[in-house]
Amino acid sequence: MFLEVDDLTKRFGGLVAVAEISLKIEQGEIVGILGPNGSGKTTLLSLLAGLLVPTSGRVVWQGSPISGAKPDTIAAAGIVKTFQNPQLFAELSVYEHVMIASHLALKRLLGSRRPGTFFGARSADRKMQTRVDHVLELCRLTAVADKPAAALSYGEEKMLGVAMAMMCEPKLLLLDEPASGLGPQEIAHLGLVLKDLREHGTTLCIIDHKVAFLAEFAHRLIALQNGKKIADGTPKDVLSDPTVIAAYLGRHHA
Amino acid sequence: MSPVLLLVPLYLVPVFSHNEVLLTILIFTFILGILATGFNIVFGYAGQLTMFHGAAFGIGAYSTYLIVNKLGVSFWLALLPTFVGILLLSLVVGWICFKFRLREFYFAVVTLAFSELARLIVVNWNSVTNGTLGLLVLDKPTFWLPGAGVIAIEGTYAWYLLALTSLLAVTVLTHVLVRSWIGRNFAAIRLNEELAQTLGINTFRYKLLAFAISNVLAGFAGALFGFYTNYIEPSQLSITQSLDAIAMVLLGGMGSILGPVVGAFLLTGLPHVIEFSAEIRAAAYGAILILVILVMPRGIVGLLSRWRHVS
Repeated sequence: MFLEVDDLTKRFGGLVAVAEISLKIEQGEIVGILGPNGSGKTTLLSLLAGLLVPTSGRVVWQGSPISGAKPDTIAAAGIVKTFQNPQLFAELSVYEHVMIASHLALKRLLGSRRPGTFFGARSADRKMQTRVDHVLELCRLTAVADKPAAALSYGEEKMLGVAMAMMCEPKLLLLDEPASGLGPQEIAHLGLVLKDLREHGTTLCIIDHKVAFLAEFAHRLIALQNGKKIADGTPKDVLSDPTVIAAYLGRHHA
Repeated sequence: MSPVLLLVPLYLVPVFSHNEVLLTILIFTFILGILATGFNIVFGYAGQLTMFHGAAFGIGAYSTYLIVNKLGVSFWLALLPTFVGILLLSLVVGWICFKFRLREFYFAVVTLAFSELARLIVVNWNSVTNGTLGLLVLDKPTFWLPGAGVIAIEGTYAWYLLALTSLLAVTVLTHVLVRSWIGRNFAAIRLNEELAQTLGINTFRYKLLAFAISNVLAGFAGALFGFYTNYIEPSQLSITQSLDAIAMVLLGGMGSILGPVVGAFLLTGLPHVIEFSAEIRAAAYGAILILVILVMPRGIVGLLSRWRHVS
């Protein structure tokens, strides 16, 4: 099994943000997680990425348990999460941002031979540059590669967050509301990029409010409400599920 | 071209000017520039506001002198155990701070507390440090030159060469470091620590590395300072020492290679140019700092490079 989550629970004091959630993600899948504000979507992703430590339950990644591991260990193992609001340096260029994210790629390439790069390892540098160019192309950022982050549109900023995550060569990419705050055109654009990522062989797990956006290209949807999983299945099944409709539209519509 | 090369022409200053005041200001600039460069690594590049560099500066001065004096070894040999000692101390202090996830203000306060602790030990350990009276340093660093044999470094010209060469070596190393993957990891941590972790960077390890490097450089500067001024006192470990270096980095431009050196030059030279009473001087100093932070947050070097980009 690629990723298996068993009875994962996170409590913040008296508040149960994530309650006994179990789910599975297969390699190559695109899984959409939906749910109203406060339903525990971001908490769930943060637990998977190691940014939060679960109160109980376990996460098994490619056969080994990772719950409670540090985020950098989990990232090195292949699970990378993006942030809802991209964290960028105003004065650094798009290219430099992606280069900052090259740590894992360089580590995989050189391992303990990294100190050698102090004395000039042009070939490693060139390999990283090629990889940055590739990621920028994948995320449709090649045209703005030399622009400072301050000059980007919000959509481009969010895409830069995805590019930085992709530079880590994730096997499973966790996207935290990639479509929030984007205009219709930017959302269409994001859809194209996500389809490319799938072709690239990256398994995706996306959380968002925009149900139509998720339903369009997710293989499977998981619906959350008050920290609990209320539905899990094909987009069609989940969106016609009475519990999901009730959670979104209020009980009397169901 | 590396900006570090801009320091090389400074070797020619003593050829054209024999002005003792100017050369002395420059020697202090170079030595304090090393301290400021170290602080710039941990603050300007890795984004951690430490207050421990003043303590490391003073410890470097005391440790080097005491080893030279008690064991009779040369200045250069005494630097080695000094660096190892400061490295270990940094790992202990850094480990405590970073394990408890202290950030920004909290990190500054706790490192300041450790720094004060070090100062109090020095003040009270009379039998070794001579307490508040301080220590006179009569030994000189020596150098072996082909033909001339072992020569002692004394006088303005020899110290000028030693201080400038030391600064040059430190800035070259810093330049290599911040341009490497280590520098990129520092930048990722400064940008956002959570983000850096999700990019696979062991932020604990790299913060510790930045902290240790900065303290070792501060210790090197302290050792040079003690031997140059021939006097070591507990105030060299004080908060003022830390704040001076912070002011230099802010004024010159943090996150740039030469910013700390420019800042060190202005803040060492300024008191000689402005002939005010001590109180007014302190006020002027404060006013300049506030102005810099408000008007040019990237410091002088940051301002210059922006002009270059615009034109």
